[in-house]
Amino acid sequence: MERSLTHIALFAALVAILGLVPQITLATGVPITAQSLGIMLCGTVLGARRGALAVLLFLALVATGLPLLSGGRGGLGVFVGPTVGFLIGFPIAAFVIGWLMERTTLPVGLAAGAASAIGGIAVLYLFGIAGMSVMLDKTPAEAAMLTGAFLPGDALKVVLAGFVTQAIARMRPGALLSRA
Amino acid sequence: MLTLTSPVETPLHRLPAGAKLAALAAFTVVLFWLKSPVALALALGGVVALHVPWGAAFTTHAARMLRPLWPFVAVVAAWHLWIGEAAAGAAVILRMVTAVAAANLVTMTTRLSDMITVLERLAAPLAPLLPPRRLALAFALVIRFIPTLAARMVQITEAWRARSPRRPGWRVLVPATLAALDDADQAAEALRARGGAE
Amino acid sequence: MTGTPPSPFAPHPAAPPDGGIRLETGPVMLGGKTILHPLRLDLTERRIGIVGRNGSGKTTLLRLIAGLIAPASGQVLIDGIAPYTDRKAALTRIGILFQNPDHQILFPTVEEELAFGLRQQGLAQAQAIAAAQTALAAEGRAHWAKAPVSTLSGGQRHYLCLLAVLLMQPGTILLDEPFAGLDLPTIARLSRRLAALPQRLITISHDPAAVGTSDRVIWLEAGRVRQDGPPATVLPAFIAEMARIGEADADTDLAG
Repeated sequence: MERSLTHIALFAALVAILGLVPQITLATGVPITAQSLGIMLCGTVLGARRGALAVLLFLALVATGLPLLSGGRGGLGVFVGPTVGFLIGFPIAAFVIGWLMERTTLPVGLAAGAASAIGGIAVLYLFGIAGMSVMLDKTPAEAAMLTGAFLPGDALKVVLAGFVTQAIARMRPGALLSRA
Repeated sequence: MLTLTSPVETPLHRLPAGAKLAALAAFTVVLFWLKSPVALALALGGVVALHVPWGAAFTTHAARMLRPLWPFVAVVAAWHLWIGEAAAGAAVILRMVTAVAAANLVTMTTRLSDMITVLERLAAPLAPLLPPRRLALAFALVIRFIPTLAARMVQITEAWRARSPRRPGWRVLVPATLAALDDADQAAEALRARGGAE
Repeated sequence: MTGTPPSPFAPHPAAPPDGGIRLETGPVMLGGKTILHPLRLDLTERRIGIVGRNGSGKTTLLRLIAGLIAPASGQVLIDGIAPYTDRKAALTRIGILFQNPDHQILFPTVEEELAFGLRQQGLAQAQAIAAAQTALAAEGRAHWAKAPVSTLSGGQRHYLCLLAVLLMQPGTILLDEPFAGLDLPTIARLSRRLAALPQRLITISHDPAAVGTSDRVIWLEAGRVRQDGPPATVLPAFIAEMARIGEADADTDLAG
């Protein structure tokens, strides 16, 4: 019980600081933070249930007014803004990634990368695009074009999620709760 | 810990958090129901009027919090001018800015502890699944460990740079994630040492 | 529970003498390696020191006594209760001060950290916060109440952890390397404070100076009790052996 709770809380904190600390600017000029990579790691490391709960806890703290979303955003405003679809998709993405992680028998790194691509891009963008299409009154195709700018960054994060998860599996074999 | 609550005390700070949230929810529903740009402009005017009396610092702070919206405003404006539907574009932009500004206003005028109390009250029906004390403990743990993990991240970066001319970049992620896992195990043990999670 | 908030100074009924601590445990394995061999110990003295090198099993023994890990076989009894299974009863009997305060602190502010243990013992939140504030005031640190724990220095965090344990009034307090990483004035203050406590203290350390005034010293070596007796006999032997190993430069074996 205690371990479950503290893992959920610590990964919520990890997602928060990944939105604040490393800023990498891609060749295209779009700055990316590691926050959505944190969402992926919630799924690949903690598994479906704990991973999704960690992300929900993170979002609850954002809603209470802590500036924990990348770029120092937070508060209730982000939940009625154009990117709300991504926020709704975050815990679902973590759940899907964890669910896939728990069920495949692929090598850890490959499984984490594939699960992150499906959950962290396919599923997440589905929600993100739907949200943007509603909030900006655009067709889904038009909204999809708007989100295209983030795709190279997220593709890179999928690869990193695979590497990081594999490194953790190697350095701390018992730590991957998704494969426990 | 830094929050988005405004240090400028306004009369809005003294309203109960639950009432503000209920009003915000109703206001947002109305915004999505309104179609006319004129009505939406009036709504925006109303939200602005709730900022201005509390001084320039408060209003500028609120304006800064809207900055992430500008790229979307620009794209929507350009798109609708191009297809010749300026009125529809204005409605989309006004609705978005008004909804976000109103929500930010509640955040700016409600203390973190009050907001957490409301959240816990909203979660009360879930009590059989999620005991309220466990939720409160989870919130406290996250707030406690954000500065710890951030400090750890700085240490990792410094340890890297002490022995490398390059920046660690994504490589800090592995030790940072391991730090989160270790902290989780140690916090679980500390929790157990003092009676565990109920 | 009465209305008066507990003072961390006051002696109380749970302080020794009591039934003492009894260990009769089988081997403790971690990751396929034996950390502790079968042990049989009766701990009844007021001040007990446990010394040993890094990896000798000291911390595992402490966690076994505190009820943080379960004995795979055999039993650990404090006052006749099993600390691993009966957590509620264990809380009034045993407290543990972790080596690293950052591994112990769970809450963002000082008063929440102090109040947590009292809530766990059944006090309501408001009462627990009031008791925490009273305790801080008694220590001349009332202004700490709302301070974020991240702003405290290392020594102050250590102190906060001790206060959090004392507030719960356990009969026995386990101290894991209580002086590691502290500056000399802080060590002096902390030792004075610890010496005055009515509780039974079990201190583990690799430093013989930390346990010199104990009633009894247990020397652990590779998961076994190497010597057990008054400090005047155990510590000189321990110091001589440590010096001998240091000369031999034998620190090249890998664990496992």
